[in-house]
Amino acid sequence: MSLLACTCGSKENDKKRRLKDSQPEKVPSKDLNKNAPETGETIHEEVDDMELLDSSLFRPDPLQYELCAVIGKGHCNSSTISLAKNLATDSLVALKRINLEVWSGELLYFQNEIMITRLLSHPNVLPFHCSFINGQELWAVMPLMAFGSCRDLMHAYFTSGLPELAIKLILRDVLSAVDYLHHRWIIHRGIKASHVLISRSGRVCLSGLHNVLHTIKNGQRLHNVHDFPLHAKDCLHSYSPELLAQMLLEKMKGTKPHLADSTTVQEFVIDDEYPGTEGMEDQGTSSQERANDIFFKRTFSPHLHELAAACLETDPQLRPSAAQLLSHPAIKSIKNHSSSLLPSQLQPVTPLTDKSNIPKDLAMEEEEDFSRKMSEVSMLEDWVF
Amino acid sequence: MPLFSSKSKTPHEALRYLRDTIPSLKNSKDKEHKKISDEVTKTLHVLKTQLYGSQEQEGNDLGAQISSEILSSLSLFVLIDNLAYIDFEGRKDVVAIVNNVVRREIGVRNPGVENVYSKPELIFLLIKGYENQEIALNCGMMLREFARNPLLATTIIGDERFYKFFEYVEVSTFDIASDAFSTFKLLGELLLDRYNFTVMNRYISQPENLKLMMNLLREKSKNIQFEAFHVFKIFVANPNKPKPIMDILLRNRERLVEFLTKFHTERSEDEQFNDEKSYLIKQIKELRPAEENYQIKEENMS
Repeated sequence: MSLLACTCGSKENDKKRRLKDSQPEKVPSKDLNKNAPETGETIHEEVDDMELLDSSLFRPDPLQYELCAVIGKGHCNSSTISLAKNLATDSLVALKRINLEVWSGELLYFQNEIMITRLLSHPNVLPFHCSFINGQELWAVMPLMAFGSCRDLMHAYFTSGLPELAIKLILRDVLSAVDYLHHRWIIHRGIKASHVLISRSGRVCLSGLHNVLHTIKNGQRLHNVHDFPLHAKDCLHSYSPELLAQMLLEKMKGTKPHLADSTTVQEFVIDDEYPGTEGMEDQGTSSQERANDIFFKRTFSPHLHELAAACLETDPQLRPSAAQLLSHPAIKSIKNHSSSLLPSQLQPVTPLTDKSNIPKDLAMEEEEDFSRKMSEVSMLEDWVF
Repeated sequence: MPLFSSKSKTPHEALRYLRDTIPSLKNSKDKEHKKISDEVTKTLHVLKTQLYGSQEQEGNDLGAQISSEILSSLSLFVLIDNLAYIDFEGRKDVVAIVNNVVRREIGVRNPGVENVYSKPELIFLLIKGYENQEIALNCGMMLREFARNPLLATTIIGDERFYKFFEYVEVSTFDIASDAFSTFKLLGELLLDRYNFTVMNRYISQPENLKLMMNLLREKSKNIQFEAFHVFKIFVANPNKPKPIMDILLRNRERLVEFLTKFHTERSEDEQFNDEKSYLIKQIKELRPAEENYQIKEENMS
């Protein structure tokens, strides 16, 4: 279910509301830029007051959160993302829940995401306020990104792609995030439209860090990566040609997928940039042909076409890095644009800001379903000691 | 400009700078603190990059030289003791630096490990670090690097402060609890090592432990069942089962076979698990009451 399904149902109503909603809030940025990327280009003048709430206000206590509605699914449908109200701060948050008993894979998958995210601090990387175990579930509390993901936006309204300014604003923030990660020798390995989220004020956050790979292992830096993400198939459409070729080769050989020795981290790092262009051309699930159709029908500024072409370079050595793309003329051209311009570019879609127009909570039904399944587990007679 | 000055520092100067400046972070305030803190973080970053070397100059001499100078002039103690006063980004570089130094080998020697071994307070500073949310994960990362070394792991397990882990794995914050658990588990793996055989043997000779595992096999949670399986298997695989253990297994032979046959059948792709399961079923089916001479021995003893 898309987060936006409930917020852009009626375009007429939205028209009335959007004027009010799109007014950027003038909140001083405090020390949000403390950990700005080395390139230091992104300036966030306005920030959501909600997002500025100190993570320490969010306690790892299930009683502090009132679940409102399911707004998304993640991790191959094994996690549920709910809109929830935090009682201590009276604010809305997004709450990711994973039933660890139903999840058949390694716990490491979620651990990796939570632990690495905990060690990151960047305005364009979605943080976790806190995470804790509640019964059989792992709960992770995140700021609410009220416009949902780029994928949601393209599904719900922008079926032929986003406006150019929106693309540039989104790309700039995503590139800042990727640059931040790469400077810390971390590879995201899952950049796609559904992992790019937009806040009410237009701040863009990169999420989906469960495929992240830290290239420092055992006190040494890996120069060759021999490891594919656990759920590579979810991100196939945003992998680079050399990576896909490698995977295909391994599949044909019947060996487990891994990267050949010749594939260096540096190349792999650049793979991360490749999907950066998807916001402008791809619909997430639509066929490549359709995406191509739309891409070629639309005309953007020459700079943006150049940027896209540079990212589509098949030779990984020639493909630009995130830092290089940040100084590309297409991104430079919006140097003085605040990300608070983004919401107006997304009209008539409005952000999810209150609970009144939220559909019924489906979570309870699921829970019942699960508890029923559990009770079906047959129990043998007792052991004899 | 700070960036310029840190770039122009030789590794030797950088280390001296860090040694002299890091301890002052604790007492500096506001603007002054920010200035020092930024410079420390930048210097740490440069140092980390030199230590790890770039791809072209892998296994470089510079890294080895810096590493030994860190031990001799900067000292790991300064870095670890002041971790909470170093800023968010700087702490991660401290982790990277410490872990690299501890892993670095010169011939058969491992100066980093020797250094930590001679100053065990470093280890206990890290364990204590789990109590401070801000640095808990950073400390965990270093502690796990230490725990990978048998010498240092023994130091950790041998101290009463090790029991703190039983508290840390239960804190409500998931990331800290699970980090502590990862470290705990790493230390636990030592028990499977050959030279800890006596400890393990004592464990699998006690019927209470077997009963606990058999009950956990039927715990509601599939995850707990699965973990219990991996302990239970050691009881069964033990070639010299004491009588009380053998008796319990024999009394439950049919039930165990039936239970294990249906146990986690959905894990069809986990080859190792299925092999182990079939092996256990076979072993249990073939269980025979303790051999006569064993019984005679017992009788003679009593």
